[in-house]
Amino acid sequence: MKRLLAVGTMMFLALPAVALAASDTTGEEEKFNPASEWTLHEWVPIHLGPIDMSINKAVVYLLLGTVVSCVIGIVLMRVKVGSDPTRRQALGETIYEVAQVQIAEQGLPTKAIGRWFPYVASLMVFIWVVNMLGFIPLPLSDEKWKIAGVEVPTLAIFAATSTLSVTLALAFMTWMFTHIEGIRANGVLKYLQSWIPDVPKALYPLIIPLEILGQFMRLISLSVRLYANMLAGHMLILTFIGLIFLVTPWIFPFSVLLSSVFYLFEVVIVVSIQAYIFAALSAIYIGSAIEPEH
Amino acid sequence: MLSSFFFLAETTGDVADAGKAIALALGIGLGALGAGVGIGNIFGSMIQAVARQPELRGELQGIQWLGFALTEAVVFYGLIGGLLAYVLV
Repeated sequence: MKRLLAVGTMMFLALPAVALAASDTTGEEEKFNPASEWTLHEWVPIHLGPIDMSINKAVVYLLLGTVVSCVIGIVLMRVKVGSDPTRRQALGETIYEVAQVQIAEQGLPTKAIGRWFPYVASLMVFIWVVNMLGFIPLPLSDEKWKIAGVEVPTLAIFAATSTLSVTLALAFMTWMFTHIEGIRANGVLKYLQSWIPDVPKALYPLIIPLEILGQFMRLISLSVRLYANMLAGHMLILTFIGLIFLVTPWIFPFSVLLSSVFYLFEVVIVVSIQAYIFAALSAIYIGSAIEPEH
Repeated sequence: MLSSFFFLAETTGDVADAGKAIALALGIGLGALGAGVGIGNIFGSMIQAVARQPELRGELQGIQWLGFALTEAVVFYGLIGGLLAYVLV
């Protein structure tokens, strides 16, 4: 209870700081726009011919997420296993068990667990970390404000997974692995045959295009689910905070309370569920390609 | 003043913007309608199942959250469709 109260107080103080980013414009009045969170400015421009590889906010968040998930893996999994488990070991075992029992064994056939468990588990940890980083106010934004004469970026929340390119790349990886694994396990012809469901032959012209379309829809649904969940969560929080600037400053108890509620909902439920779902669906897709049902 | 508000509402701004806003609202609203029914169904069935066989709770929970996330995503397809209409068209 005490801890919950502390977290609540901290958020009551921290969340307006997120919104300060918008109010802290020098000189002219600027209208608050929650969507400005997603305009990505090039911080370090890198252009390789037509390919734009510039480092922007999303890339920095992704790099940070990679480092943090590596650290989590090393700290929690490289533990001296004793008969009296420490807290670190218990936490690590919990994460491992979720990945093993809930995700890998649900979706993958037994013979493929050894090969695909690392992919699925790291997908879960990585997406969880990147989602979670998105809800911690970090000094990574384009607006600056001055503390004691030094220009510091304002605290802001932004999730790399709330940009479509990131989730599409992750989904594309799963999609490619699905087909590669399917072809490797069954052979090209047999794998393509397994797409066709048991229907009368007369229905084939109708069903086969639908099934092929369905394979591409997987790509879209997998990526858009994660993307839109994170986008909508951030948009809700920022919009309710933004009411302070759009309506009247006196609305702040209401707006901060509401955005705190959404914040807690996102952090406690959505972040973990989306990571779990993405990994579980990846496992199911890969598993169903390796062992088609008929 | 009041009468002009009700009867002679002048259209200020772009009418096309209004259409986009309606598209966005319809996308989210209709999506949320379906997903609300679906999520209610999932949790209702979960309560019934656990009431009948409490020992299966652990196994059912995984399926429940999978179903929850799959259903919830429907709202966001509507949202994305609405946003596409708002931003691109």
